[in-house]
Amino acid sequence: MSALGQVVTAIEAYRQHGIQEVQKVRTNREYAEQLLQKWRETKARIRHAATPTGLRLPRLALPDYDDPGEIARFLWDEGLPGEFPFLTAAYAEQYLEPVHNENQLNGEALHDEEPTRLFAGLGLADDTNARFHYLSRNQRSKRLSTAFDGPTLYGVGAGEEGVLGKIGEGGVAIDTIDDMERLYAGFALDQPDVSVSMTVSGPAPILLAMYVAAAKRRFGPDVAWKLRGTIQADVLKEIQAQNELIFPLEPSLRFLADMVDFCSHTMPKWYPISISGYHIGEAGATPVQQAAYTLSNGFAYVEYFRSRGMEVNRFGPRLSFFLDCGLDVEYVVLARICRKIWAIGMRDVFCADKQAQILKLHTQTSGRSLIAADWRNNLTRTSLELMLACMNATNSCHSNSADEPFTTPSEEYARYAAHAQAILLEESGLFKHMMNTLQGSPGMKVVGTAVEEALLEEFNVIEHQGGVIGAVERRYQRSQIQASSHLLERQIEAGIRPVIGLNRYNTPVEEWPQVHMIRTPKEKKQLQRERLGDFQRRHASERDRCLDRLTNVVERGGNVFAELISTVEHCSLGEITKRLCDVVGKFRPMI
Amino acid sequence: MRPIRILTAVPICDGHDSAINTINLELVRNGIEVVYLGYNRSSKAIVRAAIQEDVAAIGISTYNGGHIEFFWEVIQELRELHVEPEMPIFGGGGGTITKEDAEVMHQYGVDRIFFAGTPLAEMVVYVKRLCGGIVRGPYNVSLAGTDRSLSRQLTLAQGSVAGSFRRLGHPGVATNTGRTTKTIGLTGPGGAGKSTLIDELVYRYLRSCHATRRVAVLSHDPSAVSSGALLGDRATMIYSQDDRVFMRSLATLGESGGLGPATGACLELILESGLFDFVLVETVGIGQEAIPFGIESPLVERVVLVMPPDYGSRLQLQKIAMIDVADVIVLNKSDLHGSRTAAAEIESRIGANPNRGAQTLIRAQANRHGDPGVDQLFNLLLSSL
Repeated sequence: MSALGQVVTAIEAYRQHGIQEVQKVRTNREYAEQLLQKWRETKARIRHAATPTGLRLPRLALPDYDDPGEIARFLWDEGLPGEFPFLTAAYAEQYLEPVHNENQLNGEALHDEEPTRLFAGLGLADDTNARFHYLSRNQRSKRLSTAFDGPTLYGVGAGEEGVLGKIGEGGVAIDTIDDMERLYAGFALDQPDVSVSMTVSGPAPILLAMYVAAAKRRFGPDVAWKLRGTIQADVLKEIQAQNELIFPLEPSLRFLADMVDFCSHTMPKWYPISISGYHIGEAGATPVQQAAYTLSNGFAYVEYFRSRGMEVNRFGPRLSFFLDCGLDVEYVVLARICRKIWAIGMRDVFCADKQAQILKLHTQTSGRSLIAADWRNNLTRTSLELMLACMNATNSCHSNSADEPFTTPSEEYARYAAHAQAILLEESGLFKHMMNTLQGSPGMKVVGTAVEEALLEEFNVIEHQGGVIGAVERRYQRSQIQASSHLLERQIEAGIRPVIGLNRYNTPVEEWPQVHMIRTPKEKKQLQRERLGDFQRRHASERDRCLDRLTNVVERGGNVFAELISTVEHCSLGEITKRLCDVVGKFRPMI
Repeated sequence: MRPIRILTAVPICDGHDSAINTINLELVRNGIEVVYLGYNRSSKAIVRAAIQEDVAAIGISTYNGGHIEFFWEVIQELRELHVEPEMPIFGGGGGTITKEDAEVMHQYGVDRIFFAGTPLAEMVVYVKRLCGGIVRGPYNVSLAGTDRSLSRQLTLAQGSVAGSFRRLGHPGVATNTGRTTKTIGLTGPGGAGKSTLIDELVYRYLRSCHATRRVAVLSHDPSAVSSGALLGDRATMIYSQDDRVFMRSLATLGESGGLGPATGACLELILESGLFDFVLVETVGIGQEAIPFGIESPLVERVVLVMPPDYGSRLQLQKIAMIDVADVIVLNKSDLHGSRTAAAEIESRIGANPNRGAQTLIRAQANRHGDPGVDQLFNLLLSSL
């Protein structure tokens, strides 16, 4: 049985145990009395605060049960925020406003604006750097979220034949450590208020090595432990949905494990993987498929890392997740159920401590749900998705711009998107006073149970194919996602799935937004080639020695990531990728 | 009448295949043969494949920018080759291609760009209208010996195949260029890893043989009579995307047994062209009873049966007809559970065959880089012919 089969068993045992607990408090007086006592204490601990309209509310709403059986069931199924199995939320007071005294309530602004993730990536490193400085000019915390161009995502050098047009399009072009240094120039990467995230998986270890090496140049050799941020590095998802993988699965996993191992020892503030369902969802998976594949990928990583002798309580807290949120009813509970399954699996199958049991989640609203027809409706769609994401107590969120079906987000609509979050969490009273204003309804519970059942069923199907890796090799997840995607499109065409403005209530007048596409001019693309050529000339004498050393580490079984931090000093991304492909082979695409 | 045949692909350094997968399925459902080249494909690879497959049009789905340059490169490369009749290009890129971009692209020769929100049905109608009336004749004799010319001959052979063709002489076929071409057939159940194995053999051939030597691959995908087919073998190939490799995808058009009605005719033309030293013919996934290359005078010189270890019980093994006639049996996926037992069972099965001793069993793991089993197969195939 793979770890996934054991997770299914653990979830079933957890449920069974819950039923027994309820029976026990109903039959055992002493036990019931203990529970009631605990319940009273929990209630007493809940603080109250006044809303701006003068209403006094508890910061957590507990049901008014007096039957010990019902209380036991509530604690077992729903639980408290910040407590196992973290169904309600990962943290006890996640979205809540700090408690203020009355004077403050009548006073001025209490908050700095919640820092937004500034997703950017265009042109060359200098262009993106300027954009980062512009976007973060008024923000105390700088969250620099980086998109890379196609050649970088595939580890292809700017000088390669046929890629000129792709340089700096859809993301920033990074070929060398020098580019990486330019990309974040002027930001104090060693400070707690700066964090960087990189959306890249295939060549992730090489790019993170460049980041660490570039940071060392600027902040000294001991900077690694201060670096904060996330790198996506989810190779399983690449095979299943996003197709940006360079090396075959086995070496890809090994390079990833080396990076995660290195980070969990040396870079404790860095999240070296973001286990991503977003691209699975965007590729057309149903919500249950998205959750099932993402969680099972997560468990497969844990199983693999442990098989390499890595300690679950060391790397476990450094795993993070990334999910899509659309409008289907499953999204009312999807992330909640994911948190529960992850917690149970980590605790009961992998014996992980609390910090490693908590699923830390970033959510993005669904890009696929946004359409060109009558496009301002997208504002409503995104707001609803955002609300669903918050009802699931996501730890952070990215909301899409309404104009995304046409273009990379314009500043105007990117602002509306960011402010939608602030309106929901800060302006509205839905989330800031009580942790569970919008949770715990019978309807939610029913949807939750149905989703959980469907998830376990998917787990079983995957388990029967030899676990996640076996299923991946049979292209199970891919073909399921493709089938769902095709079905979705046909349902939309047939009108079975209403899409307002498209197959229902179409507006006759087709109005397109003013689109201003930012493109990278040819001279800049040439400049990137020249810079790379120049780097290669300067390091020509060192290159082969470094690549040979890297080869040696790969073949010897040493930590490839640790070696890459030196390799990138003299070798470009394209050179390193090429050499590694010679040694371990290339990823064979799947259709 | 032959179905319309087009090529689809996603450009280099771009992995966004969700749209194209849906469109491919929809085109196939509507009777079109789609040769799908896959994602992350260079303009060179697209043009090469379009020529070799002799398609009526090319559809490109792009998503991460650079489309103005990319489509332009494809069109330039096609024009340099003087493909007749001109091969139209169409494409789409959701919101990434603006109306202004589309105008520019139209100016330099792109036939049509689909914008976000175009219904699938509209694309199907477009493709049928675009390709329906295209008439293609043979190329001028001055182009004999080019891939273009051969490719067109294959198209014409497919169109006029009467089901009869000359069986080939053995061993080796001396062609008018004096080359001796080795022909290998690869067959086996679906999912055994035939395409991967072929790509790995091609990789070894390209590396070990002189740069003037070329390989041809004839691969098959299933389809019903006068319906569409998704010809996707190219999409999973890494090393076969090379000018030294000529690859042609055939649909079976309802033919049982693993090959298509025109396979023999096509193979003959490929051999007669004298362009190739090594020809690999891949069947569709076959059933237990199939013997696709024949017994008495087989279509190819050597037949390789590729099998996964999970063929079921020993009894199932007895029923597989190909085990009696294959020259080489490759037990692929040798990393899988049960592979040792499978090897022992197959060994004892072929030990009981009348032509015992002439058959070789090789354990391989084709999806592993530099697999020694594949090396062994490659050396055997080259030396035994």
